[in-house]
Amino acid sequence: MLTMSNRMPNRLDSISRRDFLKTSSLGTLAGVLTSEWVLLEPEPTELRPSITDTVNCAVIGYGLWGREISATLLRLEEANLVAVCDTYPVMLRRAERSLSEISTYTDYREILDHAEIPAVFIATPSHLHSQIVLDALQAGKHVYCEAPLASSIDDARRIAATARAHEGQIFQGGLLYRTEPQYRSVYGFIRSGALGKAIMARAQWHVRESWRRSSPDSARTRALNWRLDPEISPGLMGEVGIQQYDTAMWIFGGLPTAVSGFGGVYYWKDRDVADTAQTVMDFSTGERMIYDATIVSSFDAMYDTFYGSDSTIILRDGKAWMFKEVDAPMQGWEVYARKDKFYKETGIALLANATKLDALGQDATDDDPNAETPLFHALKAFMDNYFFGPYEPVMNYQKSFDATVVALKANEAVIANSRIEFQPEWFEI
Amino acid sequence: MATRFEFVLLGEDETLLQAAGEEALREITSLEKRLSYYSDTSELTRINRRAAYEPIPLAPDLFSLLREAERFVKKTGGAFDPAIGPLLRCWGFVEGSGSIPDDTALEEATAMSGFHHVHLDKNSNSVRFDHEGVEIDLGAIGKGYALDEAARIVKGHGITNALLHGGTSTVVGIGTSYDGEPWRIGIQDGDAVLGTIELENSSLSISARSGKFFTSGERSYTHILDPRTGHPTSEAAVSAIVSSTATRSDALSTAALVLGSAALELHDPETGVGVWRTADPSSVLVLDGLPAFDRNLSWS
Repeated sequence: MLTMSNRMPNRLDSISRRDFLKTSSLGTLAGVLTSEWVLLEPEPTELRPSITDTVNCAVIGYGLWGREISATLLRLEEANLVAVCDTYPVMLRRAERSLSEISTYTDYREILDHAEIPAVFIATPSHLHSQIVLDALQAGKHVYCEAPLASSIDDARRIAATARAHEGQIFQGGLLYRTEPQYRSVYGFIRSGALGKAIMARAQWHVRESWRRSSPDSARTRALNWRLDPEISPGLMGEVGIQQYDTAMWIFGGLPTAVSGFGGVYYWKDRDVADTAQTVMDFSTGERMIYDATIVSSFDAMYDTFYGSDSTIILRDGKAWMFKEVDAPMQGWEVYARKDKFYKETGIALLANATKLDALGQDATDDDPNAETPLFHALKAFMDNYFFGPYEPVMNYQKSFDATVVALKANEAVIANSRIEFQPEWFEI
Repeated sequence: MATRFEFVLLGEDETLLQAAGEEALREITSLEKRLSYYSDTSELTRINRRAAYEPIPLAPDLFSLLREAERFVKKTGGAFDPAIGPLLRCWGFVEGSGSIPDDTALEEATAMSGFHHVHLDKNSNSVRFDHEGVEIDLGAIGKGYALDEAARIVKGHGITNALLHGGTSTVVGIGTSYDGEPWRIGIQDGDAVLGTIELENSSLSISARSGKFFTSGERSYTHILDPRTGHPTSEAAVSAIVSSTATRSDALSTAALVLGSAALELHDPETGVGVWRTADPSSVLVLDGLPAFDRNLSWS
């Protein structure tokens, strides 16, 4: 095997994959520069370090999304999920049943005390993130914090400021689409001018569910239903709209300047938090975004559409299509691209494997059972950062904070049925 | 599973019923992601890919499910056997709608199939395969297991009367129906209703040759394989099993279809058995222990 002559650390104990990869990449660079590739003499066995391939992880908050994070970590070969924390014993029993070799805790601080757990994934209710993130960063942990960062801008700012102060540690916000491969591909496509003059975005999130949680324990039922408590709920825009707002901010390349919000309780009459809401957002770059979210109708599910003078691009279910205007310039490649009919429109599939799908006789709109979720790619980015970094995460504290501010203000606009002008200082940490 | 699940939940508090139903459906979705044989990203696929090379530690619930599957393999003499991935591939059911394999390929796939190649270590809660190519498909038990888990969640919310089904082929009856009587379920084969069965805190599973099949020449071949021979089963047209859990009824209904008249031996205090050779209810071969079975009710 060809490798560098003297780059392995001469340590008796094990080294992490992280150290190994860093050492290796430095070694490789030196090798390229000096062309000193030599065959390694075998080292004495007792001096050869073993490589630890995984990072021990803990999930704090084992509700629906905490379980999703846990299940995703199990699929990442770099991750070793060793601990789960939840204040509700029923959830811990659930974790013990469905996760192998797991330790469970009711107090997250016990996890922070474990030096052998360097990475924590925080999926508690949004209003409980703040103290946990602060304590985790103070304890030296790398932190993945679900979006929104908090249910108040003050709490979110505290989180972002603390993350900034711990620059040697990874802090990644749980915004999913900047690391999703199809979205990244379309981002490059749009930034290279595929839309022509970008004019607006339209996005939606439609799901049929009550958001209601139930437990035989009435105190627990109240705690579980934090999304329906107007005092602490970030609302539809804070809980789900934040993902698509962030996508628009990324694609358009700027912050919004104003948001108008509308919404109400149209169907689930057991609450005060809107079950259906719309926002119209103006961007500093000149575009406008129209967004709606509902938990009453599931029609057409979730998508993001970007409109321009040359074409419109729609992203949904990890796939994308481009619809060209008749007078748009030809780019050549689209002649050979797969095309799919959508009512009276013909979409040019922006799919990496469109030809393969054709060969298999599969419809491009069929769900791909093997497609990984946006969450998988977000957590993979975290893992890559752990082993190859730390470097600035794609979703760093500033971008996560920006999106949180935008979403919480959008929620305020919905509640007040009003227009809010964003102030630049709101985005300062 | 790739099937439709539906619940009827009875109670006064509509909000609680809605929340409980959504939670139970989420659990089914989560289990499907974990147990799917057809998804590259499921826990089961990870096991199928790696267990020939090293013991794979399993979550307690998955380990228990495999242990239960192992018991059913023994109880049915191999008529139920989830370790038939190689046979399913050989018959073209994994990546297509089925085709007749050549004898050599079938011989090899049969040799590679069977739960005797799967080793469960209860000390380490791990699974290991004894050679490459062994694959577990939990399709004949997973739907029942998912419904049992859903029923556990529903009951955990204090709901005492409910009906849950997956794809109309496995049904769980919790408590009683609207009228305080047991849930009455019709057994259908094609257009014919063969009879009805009453469920009260019990589960019913139906397996049928006609569910998924392909034709070659004048013969049709069902996707339900006899693990003992490696060939599609031809013993019976429809089987029905009533038992205390859906996991059990699901697994044993597949075995009963394979066993035909020999399925009578599956009958015990927990298990009622019915097997039909054709859609004609007069040709019921075995009928023992099915609660309040009312043959051909809809035809009379």
